[in-house]
Amino acid sequence: MTSIEVQDLTKEFGGRRAVDRLTVRVQPGRVTGFLGPNGAGKSTTMRLVLGLDRPTAGSATIGGRPYATLHEPLRHVGALLDAQAAHGSRTARDHLRVLAASNRIPDRRADEVLEETGLASVARRRVRTYSLGMRQRLGIAAALLGDPEVVMLDEPSNGLDPEGIVWIRRLLRRLAQEGRTVLVSSHLMNETASFADHLVVLGRGRLLADTPMRDFIHARVQPRVRIRTTDPGALESTLARHGHDAQEHPDGHWTVQDARVDDIGRIASAAGVPVLELAAEEGTLEQAYFDLTGAETEFTAQHQEA
Amino acid sequence: MEFTPVLRSEWLKIRTLRSLPGALLALFAATTAFSALAGVSDASDPGFDPLFTSLSGVLPGQIAAISFGAMAVSSEFHQGALRLSLAAVPRRGRWFAAKAAVIAVPALLTGLVTALAALLVGRAGLGPAADTLSTGEQTRGVVGCGVYLMLMALFAAGVAALLRSGVATLSLLVPFILVVSFVIGDATGTVADFLPDKAGQLVLRETYDGTLGPWSGLAVTALWTAAALLAGAWSVRRRDA
Repeated sequence: MTSIEVQDLTKEFGGRRAVDRLTVRVQPGRVTGFLGPNGAGKSTTMRLVLGLDRPTAGSATIGGRPYATLHEPLRHVGALLDAQAAHGSRTARDHLRVLAASNRIPDRRADEVLEETGLASVARRRVRTYSLGMRQRLGIAAALLGDPEVVMLDEPSNGLDPEGIVWIRRLLRRLAQEGRTVLVSSHLMNETASFADHLVVLGRGRLLADTPMRDFIHARVQPRVRIRTTDPGALESTLARHGHDAQEHPDGHWTVQDARVDDIGRIASAAGVPVLELAAEEGTLEQAYFDLTGAETEFTAQHQEA
Repeated sequence: MEFTPVLRSEWLKIRTLRSLPGALLALFAATTAFSALAGVSDASDPGFDPLFTSLSGVLPGQIAAISFGAMAVSSEFHQGALRLSLAAVPRRGRWFAAKAAVIAVPALLTGLVTALAALLVGRAGLGPAADTLSTGEQTRGVVGCGVYLMLMALFAAGVAALLRSGVATLSLLVPFILVVSFVIGDATGTVADFLPDKAGQLVLRETYDGTLGPWSGLAVTALWTAAALLAGAWSVRRRDA
């Protein structure tokens, strides 16, 4: 199995550190969400992994080998960096055939990935006529061309319509299930939460988190319980007796911080408090992300600059 | 990585961008048209050179050769195209060599066909005034002209890789060829003889005087081209994509 190994990777652009001593290992068989604000170093890291930029220090390897030494790299690693990269005057099919030829990938694969990305019917149209969503699909088609074990996509959901978003989610899940290494950068939290198993979070080029997504959320966002009753007074006093602090909301429902439905349900039932609604409120990735980034002072400072 | 697949891929790139075969077509059309015009001109000028007059369509026509070389390279510097190309072919030196090869061969072949056509229409216009031309001179003119056009296309390709822009390359080279070389070029026996275009154009002349001959002149152009390609290759290899 092939993973992406990044070791002490540093990249400076004219004295500014875009990537700062980053060490991370992206494992196969799961989708790793790559998070961070604009300018955090996500795209730079991907370029360094692909050998497009030269690191100031450190190394990045694919299955232990630097990208530039791979014999036919598209057969090992597929990447989408910029959906605008395809020349507008070429047809989508020719664009893929050009890439395929350099790595001795048969033209048949171009037709297959066009089919897979839903572009088969427009394959012979010039890329210039494509919408952003279609270009994004073409970029993904190019990434899948060599049937690679490692797939790296930079903001793949950009410009996709709702149908496309669902499609990419399923695609990413499937690629991971097939045992591939999937690294997907995004700044859309809800979107990332829908497909990622694991998270790598960057801020100002530094690693802020490298954890499974569930752990990331649970460690940072306290679970809450949402409850509605016809007898607010009884509810509040009962919960208070058990050491729970309940807050009332203007629309009449209550939330109990740091609590689980199992406990609250039993307490309410035992006290005979009539319950109309009882639900767990899971923390969201967005909440966890802002909790993390809010804790990083440098990170916030950078936000204010921008 | 093997070289042949890279070469195939680069050749496919040239073929699938309409503007590139278009530039070669323009090279042929412009050169023969201007040679045809020159052929019906006055042949009584004391400095009249029937070979150069017949092939003089190359002077404006070479702009198409330069555009071909510049555009073939500059299409890689649009958006993230270069990143995509170098992700597919990370051996940058090999990639640039393939790029140069797929510029050189079509430019040479089109150049040879163009030169032959230009000579024929030029001679047809000149009539008996061109009868002094020997077969050897005409062969030298046609072959030299093809090589010259290839060298100019490659020169532009090298400059475009260095400047990373087709617009910058053309706005540097076209005025240079049309204005600088044209204005100071008449002063033979100066350093102007060693300019990349002036030196190579000696091969298009029946008679010549000065330090350089037809082949040594072409060699000077080849040196310029080699320098531009090396600078371009250095830039491609060394800079972040």
